[in-house]
Amino acid sequence: MRNNKIRIALTKGRLEKEALGLFGEMGWDVSAFSDKGRRLIFTLPGAQIVLAKAPDVITYVEHGVCDLGITGKDMIMEYGGRYFEVADFGFGRCKFALASKKGERENFFEGCEIKTVASKYPNVTRRFFESKGMDVDIVKIEGSVELAPLLGLADGIVDLVETGATLKENGLEIREEIADISARLIVNTVSMKMKKPEIDGFLRLVESKTQEKVK
Amino acid sequence: MKKYGLTTPEGTRDLLFGECTARRDIETKLTRLFKNHGFSEVITPFLEFYDLFDSSRRYFPQENMYKLTDAKGRLMVIRPDSTIPIIRLAETRLKDEPRPLKLCYCQTIYRVNPKEAGRDDEIAQCGIEIIIGGEGGEGGEGGYGESEALELAVKALELVGGGEVRFEIGHCGFFEQLARDNKINETEVDEIRRLVETKNYPELLAAGVPPDLRELPKLFGGEETFGKAEKLFGDKEMKKRLNSLKSAYDNLRRIAGGDKITVDLGLTNKRGYYIGTLFNGYTEGFGKPVLSGGVYKVNNTAAIGFAVNVSAAAANKGRLLSENIASGDAYAE
Repeated sequence: MRNNKIRIALTKGRLEKEALGLFGEMGWDVSAFSDKGRRLIFTLPGAQIVLAKAPDVITYVEHGVCDLGITGKDMIMEYGGRYFEVADFGFGRCKFALASKKGERENFFEGCEIKTVASKYPNVTRRFFESKGMDVDIVKIEGSVELAPLLGLADGIVDLVETGATLKENGLEIREEIADISARLIVNTVSMKMKKPEIDGFLRLVESKTQEKVK
Repeated sequence: MKKYGLTTPEGTRDLLFGECTARRDIETKLTRLFKNHGFSEVITPFLEFYDLFDSSRRYFPQENMYKLTDAKGRLMVIRPDSTIPIIRLAETRLKDEPRPLKLCYCQTIYRVNPKEAGRDDEIAQCGIEIIIGGEGGEGGEGGYGESEALELAVKALELVGGGEVRFEIGHCGFFEQLARDNKINETEVDEIRRLVETKNYPELLAAGVPPDLRELPKLFGGEETFGKAEKLFGDKEMKKRLNSLKSAYDNLRRIAGGDKITVDLGLTNKRGYYIGTLFNGYTEGFGKPVLSGGVYKVNNTAAIGFAVNVSAAAANKGRLLSENIASGDAYAE
């Protein structure tokens, strides 16, 4: 028997809330999530939803154990991989930006000494500085990257910036914006072909709801 | 110093019992199928000179190949593919053999994958190559051997599928011509090709790509796709290509029947050596194509060929079998 139901990997946290809001608007009953406890798999009438950490959403979709995934463009840029990227949800908006201490290195790209850049996103950072033709030392930091320049470990950081409030409170300033980020719908390359009617149906629903919002 | 005497290298593993039997079984059946269709088997070396693959570096980035040096210090690679060595063979020892030359193979390839990605570096493949043209030869659309290779690919897919399968055809000329007609410059074309290949609808829109190129990746599915494409393509060449793809599609449907055969006009020449028809085979439960191939040109040789990922097919067969046993469906077939 063919399994026609689609399985969606959803990034836990903020994107989860936004996506559940959208599913609700699409007419799906998402009440199971209001009292979810520690459960990770939810079976709704329209689809099965799996809650996962952002990079794992990509892994599950790439391997085809989930047909669809909802994750940020930041994760797609950092981890790459082979899948289709078919829709922009428009929520989860923020930016990749290069920042450094206020009043210091206003032109970050000047001078020929090697600079150190801290980031949770080493691949994005490497590509950005390659495009600038600049050699930098990259230090991978797992959280609160703002600390690195304040403690003197790094000259600058590459990080996600939403409102800029965190940067400001820690005396940092944006030197250059690198890319716009928002939540994306990714699809396993085989599922796209094997479950076309189901995925098309889901995609049309998503598009109709996200376009309403843009208007 | 840490000793590694008790584990296999990352990306490789020992195959035991059921999976081992499944792999040998699939290899035997595919080789028999190919030989019954008049293909001669060849075996190429496990090691090749790096230079052989260096000329096609877009498809074989050096970081994806296992390298070592020979006794004279020359750079060698463990073969990351069987097609390029077979073309080398066709252009050298077999250069005087009459064309078309029908060769088949059954051997492993090695690719360096990112660690801990759950992918195998060692992949067993069985495949065919129909060498169409020798020096300066032209293959291409509707060329000799195309329908033969397509029919054989469908049979091979049905043989390894083990569950529901889909066979998909396309042609890289749709993208290439639309890119030319829209005067996309060379610096942008690779990026746009990547966006079409990955069906990245939002980025195609954001990049301001012309509407016909933006629609191209959406043109996939069953018979209705041809009708939609007909409306979109004004150009005579595009229509001609579409018609020849349609007749290949109709032919395969007659053979395989039902909705197994699909089309995707958004398939592109992502590997850098395809020049015409492209095709993929999918099976339930495996997240990547289990078969892929197309019409290509390497150096001066045009050919059509495909490879079946036997490792994946064997693993999938083992899994389906144990799932059926678990659910009591083992004898349902």
